[in-house]
Amino acid sequence: MDKRGISAVLSSLLLTVVAVAAMAIATSATYVITTNLRENMSERVIVEDVWFNNFTQNVDVYVRNVGEVEIYISAVYVNHTSESFNPLSLEIGEHQWLNVSLNWVPSSLYYIDVLTTRGTHVAAYYEAP
Amino acid sequence: MLLPTMKHLRLDKRGISNVIVVMLSLVLVVIIVSNVILWSYQMNQFDWERMQENVEIVGIIQVVNGTTFTLQNKGSVTVHLVSLWIDSSTIHQRYDMDLYINAGCTANYTRDDISFVDNASIVKVTTERGTISVFTPSWQNP
Repeated sequence: MDKRGISAVLSSLLLTVVAVAAMAIATSATYVITTNLRENMSERVIVEDVWFNNFTQNVDVYVRNVGEVEIYISAVYVNHTSESFNPLSLEIGEHQWLNVSLNWVPSSLYYIDVLTTRGTHVAAYYEAP
Repeated sequence: MLLPTMKHLRLDKRGISNVIVVMLSLVLVVIIVSNVILWSYQMNQFDWERMQENVEIVGIIQVVNGTTFTLQNKGSVTVHLVSLWIDSSTIHQRYDMDLYINAGCTANYTRDDISFVDNASIVKVTTERGTISVFTPSWQNP
């Protein structure tokens, strides 16, 4: 059996496999990095309304996604203290109440900060009635 | 003179892999940079248009079967109003809206399912880009 030239074929094959794998890794890394970048750049959230609810004694925050990507609310801070809330994700253009568990005091000023998983903050001062 | 040189170059394949690697890398870099610039431009455009938005609620009139809101677009871009809020001490009520107002124009928006504006402390509208216009009825500020 003639085995001459097999090492050359094997080395070429191995080199091709390595090159294809390297390009695949580079392409997928590029895709992941640019996707994250695009999502961070495209995130826009607004707080339409804040209701200091007399019936539930909670604070209800109406959130709207005006950006180009789906958002997930990861934290709500009231006066720089993390408060519990109903988990919320909003598709593009979607809007919903975010119920924050907080025993608010009438005529007090609250700094409410809504934070998304990608790090976007929407914060403002609101006065309880 | 030229022909032997061309023949020599055609036969000499050393360094081709370097050229291919550099070209592929350049393609990747160009794709990344162009995408970043494109997305940045799109979102800058969005933010710029949002900054140009200026809507005012110039009047609220209670009619026989509802309420008419007079809205004026004082900005330089067309606005798409998507929600109307009637906030009172007891309830914050949101209504869906779908109203476009061209730059510099005024529009009347009548709803027959709103009849309790007398109790409202704040009336506000929200645009699709996220601008909020707040109106405090005069009966709340004697």
